[in-house]
Amino acid sequence: MKKQLSRLAAFTALSFFAWSCNQSDPAPKGDYIQGVFVVNEGNFSQNNGAISFFTREQTTAQTDIYAAANGTALKGGVQGYVAAGDIGILLVDNSAAGLDKVEIVNSNTFKTTASIGTPDIENPREVVFGPNNKAYVSCWGTNADYSYKTGYIAVIDLISNKVIKKIDIASGPENLVFNNGKLFVGTYSFGGGKTLTVINTSTDAVDKSLTFTSVPTPIGIDANGKLWVNDGIQAIKINPDTYVSEAALTMGADATKSARNFAFSADRKTIFFVLSYDDANYVSHGETYKFGVNDAQINVTTPFIKRLFSGLAVDPSQGLLYAGVTPSYAQAGYAVRYRADGTLVDSVKVNVAPTGFFFK
Amino acid sequence: MVLTIVSCIFFPKILVAQQDSIRLDLVIVRGFVPEKFMSGLKIQKIDSATLNQFRFQNISDLLSLNTPIAFKNYGPGQLNTASFRGTSANHTAVLWNGLNINSPILGQTDFSTIPVAGFDELSVQYGSAASIVGSDAVGGSILLGSVPTKQTLNVMFGRQQESFHNYQTQFTARYASSLSDKWNFSGKTSVYDGQMNNDFPYAERKQYTMLPSNSFQRGLVQDLFFNSKNDHQISAHVWLTRNRLTLTPDDKAGRELTLTEAYRTMLRYNYKLLTFRTSWVRDIIDYARGDYSQLDHAVTDKFSNRVERDFEFKHLQIKAGGEITHYRAQVAGYDAGLLTENRGDLFLLSRLQATSRLVISANLRQAFVTGYNPPFTPSLGVEYFLIQKSDQFLKLKGSYGRSYRVPTLNERYWKEMGNPDIRPESGWNKEIGLEQSAVLTNNHSISASLTAYHNRVKDWTYWNPSKAYHVENLQQVLARGVEVQSGWKYQIAAWKAGANVSYALSKSSQEKAYDAYSADIIGKQLVFVPIHSGNVNAFVQYKNARLTGQVQTISKRYSTFDNSQFLDGYTLSNLLAEYTFVSSIIKMRFQGQINNLANTFYLNVRNNAMPGRSFALSLILSYNSPPTAE
Repeated sequence: MKKQLSRLAAFTALSFFAWSCNQSDPAPKGDYIQGVFVVNEGNFSQNNGAISFFTREQTTAQTDIYAAANGTALKGGVQGYVAAGDIGILLVDNSAAGLDKVEIVNSNTFKTTASIGTPDIENPREVVFGPNNKAYVSCWGTNADYSYKTGYIAVIDLISNKVIKKIDIASGPENLVFNNGKLFVGTYSFGGGKTLTVINTSTDAVDKSLTFTSVPTPIGIDANGKLWVNDGIQAIKINPDTYVSEAALTMGADATKSARNFAFSADRKTIFFVLSYDDANYVSHGETYKFGVNDAQINVTTPFIKRLFSGLAVDPSQGLLYAGVTPSYAQAGYAVRYRADGTLVDSVKVNVAPTGFFFK
Repeated sequence: MVLTIVSCIFFPKILVAQQDSIRLDLVIVRGFVPEKFMSGLKIQKIDSATLNQFRFQNISDLLSLNTPIAFKNYGPGQLNTASFRGTSANHTAVLWNGLNINSPILGQTDFSTIPVAGFDELSVQYGSAASIVGSDAVGGSILLGSVPTKQTLNVMFGRQQESFHNYQTQFTARYASSLSDKWNFSGKTSVYDGQMNNDFPYAERKQYTMLPSNSFQRGLVQDLFFNSKNDHQISAHVWLTRNRLTLTPDDKAGRELTLTEAYRTMLRYNYKLLTFRTSWVRDIIDYARGDYSQLDHAVTDKFSNRVERDFEFKHLQIKAGGEITHYRAQVAGYDAGLLTENRGDLFLLSRLQATSRLVISANLRQAFVTGYNPPFTPSLGVEYFLIQKSDQFLKLKGSYGRSYRVPTLNERYWKEMGNPDIRPESGWNKEIGLEQSAVLTNNHSISASLTAYHNRVKDWTYWNPSKAYHVENLQQVLARGVEVQSGWKYQIAAWKAGANVSYALSKSSQEKAYDAYSADIIGKQLVFVPIHSGNVNAFVQYKNARLTGQVQTISKRYSTFDNSQFLDGYTLSNLLAEYTFVSSIIKMRFQGQINNLANTFYLNVRNNAMPGRSFALSLILSYNSPPTAE
């Protein structure tokens, strides 16, 4: 009896402790507070994209946390996911017209808080957070004839969860980099555009168009505050204030190969990328390379990892490289982890076509 | 007597038969499909009562409620392909009056374009029958046929109003007369029109979108039969269809149009044991998104000539024949302009009535395609009566045969993704079954069948998603399963009742590794093939009033090859009530139908919701000319 009493006392004390912790600690609640979020694009015609989640210690993933939290799937391919604070933004691309959307979720519970559909959002491609509670989403527009003439940037006000402006961008707006009041907008390779558009995020108007020799893809801002842009087979370092090109590094001499899936290291001093090509039998081949932001040239003779990936990202807190493997669009893919020296850690089975990662 | 037995063997009507409604035509027309050489294989003839109940519906509605064929449906009125006994959409041969009408470019039939109103009779043949039917008959065959009328004049008008502003209208005239002392003539002219507006009163179900779509379907069927008393038979058949499907029609920039048209024509001449058949089929597919001014246009023409000769001995029947087919294809997605190709077929079919209890069929076929010669295709079928009495029989049957599939034109010529070096698929199908029928008392009769099959297909083509959907002979698939069917019928005075229950187990999986990650796929169930499926049909009838219940249930369907994702299983049930007013020359049938009675939520392969409960009311008015003295 005494034992029971003491247990009860201990339990009560613990509960009180837990309760008081709860009271004093404003920490977010939810199942997805810390960990790795994997963007699984899905198979386009099946509308089966998903976000997978695992904590950094886990080796198995929850394959579709949106469905788990909301009782219904995303119903489209997933083109991107970013989160800041409690707000998570998902881009959903359905194979049928009129069903694309931006889904805004609580980033800790993954429960949906708002949804913005067509005509505001048509064929969303990438999302970044901007200043003043705004988010920017590149959209191809209806693009029914695949001529990439209907593209725009949708400016979302995250207080009202509404699109407050559309900024027209021709040639299929794609990758976005936000830095210091400027949004850099690249275009899609089949869109054919050769300009990098700079948008002033205080006026949300186009500030400047920078012309390149090929289709430009903004990669990000390095440790020295320089903007990197992929231009065909070159990586170009640009001063983001003066737009002066400070370096142009060539990623090999083989123009049939294309560079993609750029990712910065945690210290933003190294850039990883995949160099790939399709052979005559339509098999994709490629390797993963890296270069330093102060390097004079890129070594493409020795791959960092002798593998092709569908997505790359570095976890800023642990420094591990996360690489997406897509065996095909008809089966689940893997998130493979590598150390900074390129040695393999492990792999986690995720969902169909892992193309991106978000770390929290 | 022999004829009765033979017809029992040929047409195991017992599985689904409503004896009251079987047409017993006096004009004997030599079968379009040589079913008598299919001994050992399972053939299910759909009775005319069922065809009548479904006459405003699509063939896939009928088949999914009456057979274990699984359908891969993209939505109401949208693309709907069949998986028969765990095989792919390319492995079901669809024969119209004996002619394979699968699209030559796609190698499959979109069942949403085939309404039940387009044909007079329907049989489903299970398992490979490639030695008899030819290419595509790997999982099974669906046999559509025209039947001559013996009525002087029958005119039928039908109209159905459904939920969601969907309408069906049909008109059919059947006529027969004597042309001279020697020649008789009969024919049918039929037109049908379906307007599926799909105005669902809800935009989503359980947060899953109801994808807006509409489809408009029109068709014309013309059959003419000329029979002479000295054994000449000539028949001509035309079936024109047009199916216009639009997805998200209100979204002018994103709407998606698929216009499917088919012109099917056939001329057949039969003199005693010799038959000639010539046919021309044109398939047109137009596709556009947003702007309809420029359609992706695909036209294929298939000209086919066939000759066959029967040889009849006392216990042995032989059919020898050949077919030559010329293809012309002009497809927007091909690099080549106009494609032409010739294909040939030689076949020898035999059936031996070895004893009164034992029938053996041995069939041989060799197909020829320039550069793609399929394998030599033999088959052997045996049927043995374990019990053979006047009031019951129990039959053991088995079949072992090869199957093949000639690659489709898309598989060979589609720009970039096609593969000119692709090989024909080749498979071996084994099956064994028991079939029983018994009259228990004067009022009750039962029937049952049990079949097990094992079908391995090699060089199975696969639009390889890991090679940008380049098509390859990548897979080796083993499909095996068990089918159980049982039926009961009861009749006393003005009362009739009946029930059919069937269950199918189908395990179908990839056997061969082809890349580092195919280990995740080997042994896994093929996508969209349910492992378990079943259906129940029951009716009770008093005089001219009939109440029918239909239930279909399927287990979950995997949507990825590694079975990591799936669509939940579901059960659908329908309730039909009909009443027929009959006078001497006029018949009026009212039918009310509740579809998806339980308002079941289920998804199609696009991950969009399918409709909930819906209603349909139909009226068929038919005029029969007064019977003339025979």
